[in-house]
Amino acid sequence: MLAILFSSITYAAILSIGCASITLLYASTRTFNFAHASMVSWGFYMVFILYKFFGYIPYTYIPIAALTTAAIGVVVYILVIRRLINIGASEITLMMVTLGVDLILFASLNMVVDVLKRGFGIDATKINIILADPIVMRIWGTPIKYIHIVSIVAALTIVIALHLFLTRTNLGIAMRASIENPTLASILGIDINIVYTLAWFIGGLLAGLSGGLLVLFMEGTTTIGFDIVVFYFAGSIVGGLYSIYGGLLGGALVGVSERFLTFLLSYWIPDIIAYRFAVPMVMLVTTLLIYPRGLAGLVRRV
Amino acid sequence: MSLEYLAINFGIGAILALSLNIEVGFTGIPQFGRVMAVLVGALAAGGLMSRIAAALFGFPWGVEYAENSARYATAISGALSNNPPIAIVLLMFTLILATILGAIIGYAAALPALRLREAYLGITLLSFGEILRSVLYNYTPLIGGTKGLSIPDLFRFVQGFRSQTAIIFILFITAIMLIITERINRSPLGRAMKAVRDSEIAAEVYGKDIGTIRAYALMIGSAMASVAGALYTLFTQTIYAYQFSRYEFTFLPWAYIMLGGVGNNLGVVLGTLLFSYGYNV
Repeated sequence: MLAILFSSITYAAILSIGCASITLLYASTRTFNFAHASMVSWGFYMVFILYKFFGYIPYTYIPIAALTTAAIGVVVYILVIRRLINIGASEITLMMVTLGVDLILFASLNMVVDVLKRGFGIDATKINIILADPIVMRIWGTPIKYIHIVSIVAALTIVIALHLFLTRTNLGIAMRASIENPTLASILGIDINIVYTLAWFIGGLLAGLSGGLLVLFMEGTTTIGFDIVVFYFAGSIVGGLYSIYGGLLGGALVGVSERFLTFLLSYWIPDIIAYRFAVPMVMLVTTLLIYPRGLAGLVRRV
Repeated sequence: MSLEYLAINFGIGAILALSLNIEVGFTGIPQFGRVMAVLVGALAAGGLMSRIAAALFGFPWGVEYAENSARYATAISGALSNNPPIAIVLLMFTLILATILGAIIGYAAALPALRLREAYLGITLLSFGEILRSVLYNYTPLIGGTKGLSIPDLFRFVQGFRSQTAIIFILFITAIMLIITERINRSPLGRAMKAVRDSEIAAEVYGKDIGTIRAYALMIGSAMASVAGALYTLFTQTIYAYQFSRYEFTFLPWAYIMLGGVGNNLGVVLGTLLFSYGYNV
């Protein structure tokens, strides 16, 4: 019981970090980022690769992995998204383009795995470094690992840091202004381009962070981001896509509902464990049919 | 072998890309749940047709079929190979069933399509596909869940040229689909769809009911994709829920239509050909 509670909270924290990334990118550049899947996979694999080469503690490599995906995000923005926004592409076109970017990133990650196998003899087709994470303490016999603490602390830190950034710094206020009204913001002398580049930097950073934390939580292959990206989407959509806090909250809801809610429901309906993946999806669809703009449609804030 | 693989990829991919083209290219619905309609078609072929064939030849067709499908499927295939008329009737019946079921699921998907916009709609459709796939993967009696199901071979009566016949049949259906899509493109319905895509308000001003047109697009598109799913299942002779991945049956068709040019039927088919050729090399 307690173990499931801890793991579901951890999972929820990891998901909500990724959901904040999707929400931020959608709110700022109107791009629903399908490349998120491969960005998570890249974060996932970067931590694993660095850990295999240098050993030591996996957590030290999470910032490096996050910076890598942040760089990927910036490159994607500069090469692809900026031009499309400049020619006034529709939301669906932007979605399609990030889907293409996703396929490219996925293919290149598979190439990296091949190179690892041929050049260094490291079999990275299925990776599992959960055991590298030591147990910190036990509460009533339930082991608590570092990941349980680190991911929750990371999620809370991100909430606070983003809040401070968006409300206290000039750049953050400029970002909120350009999210609200890009034309007016550029008239007031805000360089929209820099703000958007920064948004993609933060978006990539959060995606990579989410993937990097995930590697210590579950095993996976290169399709890890692809497999669970639906939950990221569900979380950000439930949150409403307009407010970053909504994204964080939505991710937490989806994570908890997938693990903890199904666990509680299994007392009454034993078969539901098998349909675990469908539970958050059903929740998403019901939420959207009741509030077509997500939960943030209730309280509109950025 | 390689040419066969290319042909089957091209045939199925082209039908899927054309069906997406109707929804995305003409009507502007971000259909990220293509796999849902494909699964329904596969269900028509794998779950229902195989049961009917089993019942026709006096084999058990209930849950027992799912439990021991490989043995029964082989026996039914043998019986069908001596009975070409029944095989052909079953084939036609499967395609019609797939079309009807696909249209029904398309209509079901149209209910949220009326309320939601753009990204929200895309993700809702995506999750519909995931829900169906997840349920079929775990629910054993219908298509065998994690084990999958073997289904009888309807092309066995052409002795020795089984897969060639199947491929020619699939390419023939692809050609028909292309003609249908092109016909829709030039019909009043196609023009109404494009009007909805370009400006909903303008379409409404001219007296078009947006809900009906979106529902039509989803129904036609889903029916086509469902036929593609049925054909694929008939060709591979197995059905397994995770075989119908989001990558292969939603994202690759999106890549085809992106490569070929959204809204352009011939371009889409050409894009599919190029992409499957590139994939094959």
